[in-house]
Amino acid sequence: MSSKSDQPNPTDRPALEASLALVDAQRTEAIRSLRVNPVPILAAWGVAWLVGFGGFYLASSKGPGPFVANWVAALVLGALFAAAVAMSVGQGVWHGRGVEGPSRRVSAMYGWSWGLGFAGLYGVIMGLSHAGLPSGLLPLAWSGGSLLVVGLLYLTGGIVWGDNVQYGLGVWTLVVGTASVSAGVPGNFLVLSLAGGGGLLAAAGLAQTTGSRRSERLRADS
Amino acid sequence: MTTEADLPELDPVIHAQPRLRVTVILAALEPEDQITFPRLREMVGMTAGNLSTHLRKLEDAGYVAVTKGHRRRTPVTYIALTRSGRRALEDYTTAVRALLGPPNPQREDSP
Repeated sequence: MSSKSDQPNPTDRPALEASLALVDAQRTEAIRSLRVNPVPILAAWGVAWLVGFGGFYLASSKGPGPFVANWVAALVLGALFAAAVAMSVGQGVWHGRGVEGPSRRVSAMYGWSWGLGFAGLYGVIMGLSHAGLPSGLLPLAWSGGSLLVVGLLYLTGGIVWGDNVQYGLGVWTLVVGTASVSAGVPGNFLVLSLAGGGGLLAAAGLAQTTGSRRSERLRADS
Repeated sequence: MTTEADLPELDPVIHAQPRLRVTVILAALEPEDQITFPRLREMVGMTAGNLSTHLRKLEDAGYVAVTKGHRRRTPVTYIALTRSGRRALEDYTTAVRALLGPPNPQREDSP
């Protein structure tokens, strides 16, 4: 059966301390391996908004510019958003590989909600456009509508995972969406870039500090 | 005064280092989730044979549930901690902490 060293000796203090340290270290490592770290994802989206929408502001002929061509701004925004999507999805798939159960189902449904939300928004805006919405208003319909979808999904993420930072980001995104529509074109792009991207970067910083505080508390509790 | 008889017992099934590590990893999964054998093996860094042996001991103790299923016609082995396994890990860490010191050591109190 078990070897001698497997037999617990309740008076062997160093061995007991080593056991407790092993539990702590393994728990920290397991959580790092199994859970998605929101910090790099939020940071990637923050940079994408800051640079991507900032580019659209700089490309507008109605602002101080244009400093860059429209197609360059569109290309940069597309590339940054594609990279951020790939990173978000990739992280989820990577950390969840080989795991099955309710948490995977919830994550998948949440992921699909982003696609469904934007498909719905696309349908609404196309419908409005066909119904006679002036094309000059399309940028505002898109920025206001997108931020409504994004804000609600951050609220949802905050609810599902009990994440205050994500919920707060949702509230902030709804505020930014409203402000972007009031700002008009091209001010809306500046609002999206600075307030939207800035909010995401601030959320990344907050997630970093609360995350490390949480793991410290976990260590202290165990 | 603490006598030998008062000392809390340490579960030998969980106390062994490799099984303690496996149990902690399984406890880190979300409730009702399970993990495939290859992913668990990757996380714990053991050979397949070694991990199987330890899993069998944990399964015999009722701490771990091993289920075999199929995904796209490939057999997959899923491992999850049972309720009594989660309880055993909690009891074990509580017992170790009790053996190491007073029940509520305040960090501020230590010199």
